[in-house]
Amino acid sequence: MFENLTELRPALKKLVAALDEKFKFASVLAVSERFRSWRASRSGISIGSAGVRGFGFVIRVFDETGCAEYSINEFSEEMIPKIVSEMETRLAEEKAALPDGVTPLETKIPEDTPAVIRKEASYKIDPIEMGDEAILVLLNRIREKGMETEGILDMMVNVSCSAERKIFLSRNRDLDETHMWTNAAIVALAMRGEEVKDYFRPYSILGGAELLEEMEKDVPSVTKAVLELLDSEPMIPGEYDCICTPDVTGMIVHEAFGHGVEMDMFVKDRALAKQFIGEYVASPLVTMHDGSAMNESATWSFDDEGTPTGDTIIIDHGILRTGMCDALSGMRLGVAPTGNGRRESPERKAYTRMTNTYFEAGESTVEEMIASIDYGFLLDNPSSGMEDPKNWGIQCMVNIAREIKDGKLTGRIFSPIVLTGYVPDLLKSVSMMSGKIELSGCGFCGKGYKEWVKVSDGGPYMKARIRLG
Amino acid sequence: MEKRILDLLNKAGIEEYRITFFTERTAELFFVKKQLDTRRIKDVAKYLVTVFRIEEKGGEKLKGAIDVMVLSSMSDDEIVKAFKDAYFAAQFALNPYYDAPKPVTAAPAFKTGRLAELAPEKAAGLMAEALFAADNAEGAFINSAEVFISKKTMRIVTSTGTDVSWTDAKASGEYVVQAKEPEDVEMYRQFAYTELETEELTRQVKEQLTFIHDRARAERILKSGNYDLILTGENTAEVLSFYLSRSSAYMIYPGYSRWAVGDDVQGEAAGEKMELTLRAKAPYSGEGIPMIDRKLLDKGELKLAHGGARFCGYLGLEPTGDYDSFSCDNAGSMSFEEMKKRPCLWAVTFSDFQMDAFSGHFGGEIRLAYLIDGEKAIPVTGGSVNGSLLEAQKDIVFSTDRFKSEHYSGPYAMMLRGVAVAGTDAE
Repeated sequence: MFENLTELRPALKKLVAALDEKFKFASVLAVSERFRSWRASRSGISIGSAGVRGFGFVIRVFDETGCAEYSINEFSEEMIPKIVSEMETRLAEEKAALPDGVTPLETKIPEDTPAVIRKEASYKIDPIEMGDEAILVLLNRIREKGMETEGILDMMVNVSCSAERKIFLSRNRDLDETHMWTNAAIVALAMRGEEVKDYFRPYSILGGAELLEEMEKDVPSVTKAVLELLDSEPMIPGEYDCICTPDVTGMIVHEAFGHGVEMDMFVKDRALAKQFIGEYVASPLVTMHDGSAMNESATWSFDDEGTPTGDTIIIDHGILRTGMCDALSGMRLGVAPTGNGRRESPERKAYTRMTNTYFEAGESTVEEMIASIDYGFLLDNPSSGMEDPKNWGIQCMVNIAREIKDGKLTGRIFSPIVLTGYVPDLLKSVSMMSGKIELSGCGFCGKGYKEWVKVSDGGPYMKARIRLG
Repeated sequence: MEKRILDLLNKAGIEEYRITFFTERTAELFFVKKQLDTRRIKDVAKYLVTVFRIEEKGGEKLKGAIDVMVLSSMSDDEIVKAFKDAYFAAQFALNPYYDAPKPVTAAPAFKTGRLAELAPEKAAGLMAEALFAADNAEGAFINSAEVFISKKTMRIVTSTGTDVSWTDAKASGEYVVQAKEPEDVEMYRQFAYTELETEELTRQVKEQLTFIHDRARAERILKSGNYDLILTGENTAEVLSFYLSRSSAYMIYPGYSRWAVGDDVQGEAAGEKMELTLRAKAPYSGEGIPMIDRKLLDKGELKLAHGGARFCGYLGLEPTGDYDSFSCDNAGSMSFEEMKKRPCLWAVTFSDFQMDAFSGHFGGEIRLAYLIDGEKAIPVTGGSVNGSLLEAQKDIVFSTDRFKSEHYSGPYAMMLRGVAVAGTDAE
């Protein structure tokens, strides 16, 4: 895979050398993605091949105005003089058009300490080799099995696989990695009157089509859940003892807290967390990680700015230790970057972004957690969330709240549910964690309302006090 | 490159295809307060080829389609192989047959106006100037901002005879406004214009700086209950987008929506009956279908199901192309100021306001709302809205004040009766 980048590597090195003569620093990130998706639903069968990252190059330079970038998707050695000329001319024009009063944000030139990385993707079954026909036969079988259940409007089954190669070159760095993730989902729909309810079961792996083996067995539980939703009741607003499934824990980790410790927000004074470094922000049961220690969809050896990744402990037994950081923010804050400079595609800017973000496990069993609640809810099936780094407000949506009374699930279902409140209040109220963590890498994360990057998040079952509406 | 792709499609023996040629040039500016964080430029050219395969199986005519992204750096042999692989794969993605859109040939449609004519780098500077022009409010300021100027060319060529092309230009971005006293708070806002709307951007920033001033002194006193809820601007557009989604052939064909042309989709309504029009943002759809403005709802009655060739074809309808822009043509029955003269909750901003086209539910966490008792308007924050449009559509009031954005034009405000709100009293 990706021989095209192998052929271009010598010319890319020449490009960096040519830019080094004109600018204070130069680097290039080359990206090539092979994407394929398969889907079966009432709308029909489809095979897609347009991924998010595509094929392209980001050329980064530093001049007296600071950091500047040029994104292109066509490159050859013959184009080097034109690229250098375009960057000199248009970046100067862009600077000249700036309104009065705008000054450069002071940024040090990257140290560019030497690094060499070579890493190949790990997978058992390449979905492309498994073949379109075999995958669609499987998806249709899963779908037909779901459609046998009375009351199901539709059963959408989809799989997507992204294989990607990234090369980062600067004067002192030569990084090269291939990577493959596969995602899948079963979505059941049921209808009553004009209202359509849906239930979503995601699957993800840092790997290939070996993921698909576990899907079929879940069909009965997915169809049961969506039919239960037809009889769901609106939530009575209030603060309750809640148990979050690992998916919901992951959404709280990611949306409610993770975005608030992205350190480009520290540079902008947009994150309340900046004032709480070294302080208790959560229960001592809470330890939070981000990085490449776990093998999930967002595990890379280096980020989109050429910074090696690692395991960042954000919260250590309740104490906020650090945030996660991209290279530019690190230089502005005077801290080491953590390998979290990520881009939606080679056509976009890098920001501080999460990778695999999760809470560590505890020691309780799920049964003990349910039994500990007099009245409350088991929250399941997250649907969306939104960050609020400035004020640590929570907005997360879940599809299902299962009522717990006197330590037992009653069978009553409430939906849809909005989780609100103040993040540290929720995290400080965490009183139990289950003994096993699960991560889900099926989603893409936006920064605000754009800049979608692949992430995973998760944790154990978590008991906390949460305001529901 | 265009001729090369056509020649190679011929060489690969592909009889039905659609080629989309796309180029984009951008200038982008990123600010932290009034300091330049990063500046970027972009030049990309993309060639997307959709390969169709038509077959008959068991007496049924079927059609499959696979996209191929062609790179200029690919060799002829690689491109031909990619086309042949796509044609092979299409046999596994066969669906009921549908006709290709009617062929259209036309002279290129060039976007005119100052935004289209200026170099993106220059236009980016002018939009940045407009953005910061309002940044002189007392106690409130722009925390950070991003400005994007994009100039695009599109050409669609199909094996069935379509050959259309057009250019487009867009100025878009986002900014965060902040106030530090008495509480340190911020609000996020996006903008998108098809012209160089510098004055409108300055006006919008000024308005946001006023809102953030109130947000800083907003109290967490909202009680749970049912409120007459006022939504404004983009939130009005988000709720009304329900009708756009539910009337799409994409939702009707698989049965996710049971709407049919002629249905009174709003049902018995004590308030306004909906008047909506689909608005064409580009001269052609991604399939090369000419896009025109089309009436969608007339007094709540569905006049049209809309969509591309495949799903409209399945429903026996003329394809309209895919719309993401609409207007609400209701003139409104009272001014926004009159609307606020009765007890209500005006929810100005949410952390993320969403309308679910499947369930009909809308909601989000409130960042700034005004609790209005008919006289005073008290800024409040916290709590969440959780409403059902299927219920609320029975009694909607629109303002006579108007609002226009990239995807919507129509009443600035709508009032929905008795919407459930979870207050901060439960904290």
